[in-house]
Amino acid sequence: MNDPVLSIRNLSIDYIGATTDFHAVKNVSFDIGKGEFFGLAGESGCGKSTIAFAISRLHRPPALIRTGSQILLDGRDVLTLDDQALKQLRWREVAMVFQSAMNSLNPVLSIERQFYDVLKTHTGMSRLSARARAAELLKLVDIPADRLSAYPHQLSGGMRQRVVIAICLALNPKLLIMDEPTTALDVVVQREILERIHKLRQELGFSVLFITHDLALMVQVSDRIGIMLEGELVEVNDAQAIYRTPQHGYTRKLWASIPRLTGKPIAEVTP
Amino acid sequence: MAFLLRRLVFYLAAFIAAATINFFLPRLMPGDPIQKMFAGAGSDLSLENLNALKLTFGFIDAPIGEQYLAYLKSVFTGDLGRSIRFFPLPVTELLGRALIWTVGLVGTATIIGFTIGTLLGVMAAWRRGTRFDTIISLLSIFSSSVPAVVVSLITLFAFGYTLGWFPNGYAADPMLDPSWGWDYVGSVLYHGTLPMLTMVIVLTGGFAVTMRNNMINLLGEDYIVMGRAKGLSDRGVMLWYAARNALLPTVSALAISLGAVLGGSLVTEVVFNYPGMGNTLYQAILARDYPVIQGALLIMTAAMLTANFVVDLSYVLLDPRLKRA
Amino acid sequence: MTLLTQLLRNKKALVGVTILAIVILVAIFAPLLTEYSPTQRVGRPHQAPSAEHLLGTTRLGHDVFTRLLYGARISLAVGFGAGLLITVIGTVLGIIAGYKGGVVDEVITFLTNMVLVIPNLPLLLVLAAFIGQASPLVIAVILGFTSWAWGVRVTRSETLSIRQRDFVKSAEMLGEPSWRIMAFEIFPNLISIVGINFIGSVLFAVITEATLEFLGLGDPNTVSWGIMLYNAQNASALSVGAWWDILTPCFALAVLGLGLALINFAIDEIANPRLRTGGMLARWTGLIRRGEGTL
Repeated sequence: MNDPVLSIRNLSIDYIGATTDFHAVKNVSFDIGKGEFFGLAGESGCGKSTIAFAISRLHRPPALIRTGSQILLDGRDVLTLDDQALKQLRWREVAMVFQSAMNSLNPVLSIERQFYDVLKTHTGMSRLSARARAAELLKLVDIPADRLSAYPHQLSGGMRQRVVIAICLALNPKLLIMDEPTTALDVVVQREILERIHKLRQELGFSVLFITHDLALMVQVSDRIGIMLEGELVEVNDAQAIYRTPQHGYTRKLWASIPRLTGKPIAEVTP
Repeated sequence: MAFLLRRLVFYLAAFIAAATINFFLPRLMPGDPIQKMFAGAGSDLSLENLNALKLTFGFIDAPIGEQYLAYLKSVFTGDLGRSIRFFPLPVTELLGRALIWTVGLVGTATIIGFTIGTLLGVMAAWRRGTRFDTIISLLSIFSSSVPAVVVSLITLFAFGYTLGWFPNGYAADPMLDPSWGWDYVGSVLYHGTLPMLTMVIVLTGGFAVTMRNNMINLLGEDYIVMGRAKGLSDRGVMLWYAARNALLPTVSALAISLGAVLGGSLVTEVVFNYPGMGNTLYQAILARDYPVIQGALLIMTAAMLTANFVVDLSYVLLDPRLKRA
Repeated sequence: MTLLTQLLRNKKALVGVTILAIVILVAIFAPLLTEYSPTQRVGRPHQAPSAEHLLGTTRLGHDVFTRLLYGARISLAVGFGAGLLITVIGTVLGIIAGYKGGVVDEVITFLTNMVLVIPNLPLLLVLAAFIGQASPLVIAVILGFTSWAWGVRVTRSETLSIRQRDFVKSAEMLGEPSWRIMAFEIFPNLISIVGINFIGSVLFAVITEATLEFLGLGDPNTVSWGIMLYNAQNASALSVGAWWDILTPCFALAVLGLGLALINFAIDEIANPRLRTGGMLARWTGLIRRGEGTL
């Protein structure tokens, strides 16, 4: 791939225990191209969120990204950045939508304030121009500007997730990470949000790392898909190939576990 | 608004409950309640005065229900009777003077202790597992477990008697007349230092532990991770994302602990011979001055309820979810 | 792993349990540790500490060390007695309120909130003032019946969340009587809350008993740490320089309090994994230092 936005090389992440370590991510490598929609699938606990957190270096002790790992964003290794450079990279280059829609906005700050703090920190914008910019961003996700003064609890789950997406777009990031962004939402809202992301991606040109355990949903929206099993990336391929000709036994098992409307499994499991 | 109104109704009920306790206590004790309540007076009390006191406390020739109503009526009209020991000084006047000192002492100590404790808790939680956290946690555990009586006796021994830095009693130099002049205010501050220090030592640890644990419980929340992912400064995330939210359960904990705070000040006042509610109640108990004892319970309950209401108000200000409820 | 083995692995708990164990042993074996009787004059008034009287004597010529040892009995008895009473009342009411809901819950919650806003120590003082000099037993009983509100509050809110769990639902489907569900399905899941409530109540009772006695509401013939404080204060021990008379019970109360608080803090850490730091963090820091990785 030419000039990938994100290039992960030999990423290994452990959770340090009192006596033994849990290897959450084992020697994972993959690329995401410019404007690409990349899906990362696998059951919960397989390490996909751990990878997402590592890209913005959001881990807390006792997580440990092993020496030898590389996370290249536009060719720059984020694992070598100091605190200051890291803070500048966050949100400006990588923005993130978190798992629970209900819970990723700060409940005690107004929506406007949650736009303002990010704009102020990264661009030094005044309150007034931040307000104008926030209104503009909310328009992108079809939320009227008068909701700026609202608090998160006054918005529905779907609306909150759209607000988060609008905040994500505030600095025109290169990469948008979505960590199971729709699990807490109902199916209709889920579809609406993904369609909107699709449209915004075409307009603004960012890449997406989409994480979910819902393989059927993922095949519909992704360009390429990686399948994870117990910390290892077992298969990476075009979405259509993952759907029609899964190579790894685990991918086939994943498909087999999804019942089709016709009642027949999508792919036969070969033992 | 509905929330605050509900609280107000509840506080009224709680106040009536305290008055009810007052009403029934002497009547449930073995022996003649009138004899017991006013025994401290001996023969100094004229029949006329005694009858007035009896009326105030509901000892009238009527069924118990009417007695109860008579007592409630005097409570709600602000008539708490007269002190037996300092007859004919009205109880409200005696306790009113004392209340000012206690409110000053408890109020200031609570504000200082809450501020310091909360800040220490925030920093310890943010750096949890570090040496700073370990030291702050241990100090907090110690501070929250040592009885106020022990701390006040040791402070008095160390800074009052041994080092002689601070006076051993009174709220101000008894030779000075109360005024807003520097002499008097300075003397009040000087005399208040040790009781205040005691209260701050006793209170700070509890607030620090509460805030630390509340905040650690929140650190995994998505909105805090999102604050970090947004590239905000550490201080910004710590204060506006983590601490600001952890403050809510800490403020509720403050409301629950107000009773203990008041209890701590009672003892501290006695040890430092500070002329507040605690000391007045103590002297009244020694003299078996029951009207003052009962009045003290009512006034302290009223003070507690007021403090609780202030906490409710601040809670409404802090939590946007309650504003439009 | 059971709560107990986890407790013994926690450093704070270990120190706390050790302190408590020493106090208990001292209380049991007091007669073997001293040659004096706690209630007899064995020296001149206010003798300073010496080989003969390790912690000096009181104004009445009692041996302070002996009174300290025997006093532990009353402090522990009142602490654990009242603590048990407080915990039983708080747990039972809390589970009933949380599980039954409806009117029962409303009544209990209302009472609980009321007890919480009527200041406890003034109420105790008023009660004690009407009773006159209260024996340790009376103090323990009064404490037990006036201090359960905090326990109800935490037990109730924990019960509310447990009630929603599947095993409770399935027990209900099977038609188990509600007392059985409360006692055998819900209660076992409340052990750490009950433990914290119990230790906290013991601490509260020890402190409050000492405070009430210090304020002169106890029986002055009792041998307890609170009465030691009361006698020392009445003898103006501080102003006559007999610091040993007053600092000894102070120190004892502070140490016992610290021990109990450490145990409580440790139970909290064990029950709530997020509060735990322990060994993994030390190992993590070591790995970072050795350059084996980053965050």
